[in-house]
Amino acid sequence: MRYFKLIRLYFRIGVLNELEYRANFFVQIFQTVLGLLTALGGLAVIFEHTGDLGGWRSDELLALVGVYFLVGGLIGFVIQPSMQRLMMDVRTGTLDFMLTKPEDAQFIASIRQVEMWKLVDIALGVGLLVVALARLGRVMDVAQVLGFGVALLAGAAIVYSFWLMLATLVFWFVRVDNILVIFQTMYEAGRWPVTIYPGWMQVMLTFLVPVAFAVTVPSQAVVGRLTLQTLLGALGVAALMLFVSRRFWRIGIRHYSGASA
Amino acid sequence: MSASKSAVVIQNLRKTYQVHEREAGLGAALRSLVSRKSRDVKAVDSISFSVDMGEMVGFLGPNGAGKTTTLKMLSGLLYPTSGEARVLGYVPSRRERAFLSQMTLVMGQRNQLVWDIPAIDSFELNREVYRVPVAQYKQTLDELVELLDLGKLLTKPVRNLSLGERMKCEIAGALLHRPRVLFLDEPTIGLDVTMQRRIRLFVAEYNRRYGATVLLTSHYMADVEALCKRVVVIHHGSILFDGDLTALVERFSPHKTIHVKLADENQDFGAYGEVISREEGQVVLRVPKADTARVTGQLLANMEIHDLTVEDTPIDEVIEQVFAQPKEGRA
Repeated sequence: MRYFKLIRLYFRIGVLNELEYRANFFVQIFQTVLGLLTALGGLAVIFEHTGDLGGWRSDELLALVGVYFLVGGLIGFVIQPSMQRLMMDVRTGTLDFMLTKPEDAQFIASIRQVEMWKLVDIALGVGLLVVALARLGRVMDVAQVLGFGVALLAGAAIVYSFWLMLATLVFWFVRVDNILVIFQTMYEAGRWPVTIYPGWMQVMLTFLVPVAFAVTVPSQAVVGRLTLQTLLGALGVAALMLFVSRRFWRIGIRHYSGASA
Repeated sequence: MSASKSAVVIQNLRKTYQVHEREAGLGAALRSLVSRKSRDVKAVDSISFSVDMGEMVGFLGPNGAGKTTTLKMLSGLLYPTSGEARVLGYVPSRRERAFLSQMTLVMGQRNQLVWDIPAIDSFELNREVYRVPVAQYKQTLDELVELLDLGKLLTKPVRNLSLGERMKCEIAGALLHRPRVLFLDEPTIGLDVTMQRRIRLFVAEYNRRYGATVLLTSHYMADVEALCKRVVVIHHGSILFDGDLTALVERFSPHKTIHVKLADENQDFGAYGEVISREEGQVVLRVPKADTARVTGQLLANMEIHDLTVEDTPIDEVIEQVFAQPKEGRA
């Protein structure tokens, strides 16, 4: 399919670009290891004192940390870099070249920049998931794996739409980097299942910043807590968000005024 | 004027920007966080003109006149505030694929090539985005390599290229899909004279070979003289002149300037022409075109002159004089 071909080409450019700067690779490894230690350290401290946290056992939370890294890696791999690039391009006017291409602008804007070292996070996330499943002695059947896949895709779509809408604000406000920092901070909260937070915060983490859909729901699928309603709900929200964010993008692009040459 | 003959048709095109205003200083900046004053700026104020298929037109005006805004509206980047634009029969702002794959926009001050990798990799991407068949791509690329003398440049990381080399690659990258309409926004800016000429010759050749329509902005008169028979002059968003370049020069600059180098500049030149500047060892005179030959002869005969050159009034000065004209015929 054509879109996959384009994705492959843009990724290739991203990889070529990154390979020019080897140091980034080591910095990323360091960052990932640091992130991992923090996450595992947190778990260890808590389970010194208690056997379960809001109904989650330690190995289940390990799986959640795996999903946290996996989704975080996905966001950091393509969504965040592309959206940041978009915001920069709007400010500096280089978006012009993207808009003159005979291709869907939203699509290109969304895949244009990759940070390939974030694949380390994705690999680590998968590794943690495998370890967690082994420790839980859990074998997932096809339906469960499928449910996990769907939940993950829905979560990714929701996070993507969320980012796109934030980034689209740039057409009006030109500089919105700070809003994105808010997302990053809130995403940290996804390190724990949203069900352990008080009610108002759960609502926030579900609908205001969709951390629940991004991390908790797929994790529920892994540990066998996912209900069909939740999954369908996630799909519904994903479809709605994709639709709304696309409409919003279209309005935004009309407001593009470019930076004058 | 039949629509099929025109590549570009613009009618009463208008673009208004909202800009925020504030006074200088931190205090004003802080105040503007809460309450902002904004003002409408008419970048392009109801302009109309058309360009025939295969025609090369120079689009002139000082910085901020509205040239780039117009080109951006014509390439579908900006939505016009009102009025109508059509390029090859398409409405640019709809950004239809058929339209976008037949036109290109080159901006001398911007790059589309990826900075850290060789241009050829960016080209490959453009080939896919524009869906150019491989055979045609190879042929076009070969032609461009030959015409622009790209040779080994394509495999070097773009950041290692000189400004001129980069511009050549930019232009090649923008033409891989063989567009029928070219919007060139100061394609030669910052380049040395040789490179400027090279690019000029290339544009002329491209136009000849493919019958492409070219709308060109440039601050270099030589570009415009070499390429465009017709010019459209825009100032403060309105069109001041639309016609032959020669007519423009005749009408607004019936003078030439004579640069004279001599030992003693403190002589009376009043009999020869109007003295524009007088510096150590050099005098610049402005004389009516018709008198140029006579005045030059007299100067050489009557004074001890080291060097003498005759020049057309630079485009900037011509333009300045265009703007000095009363704005007749404007709504």
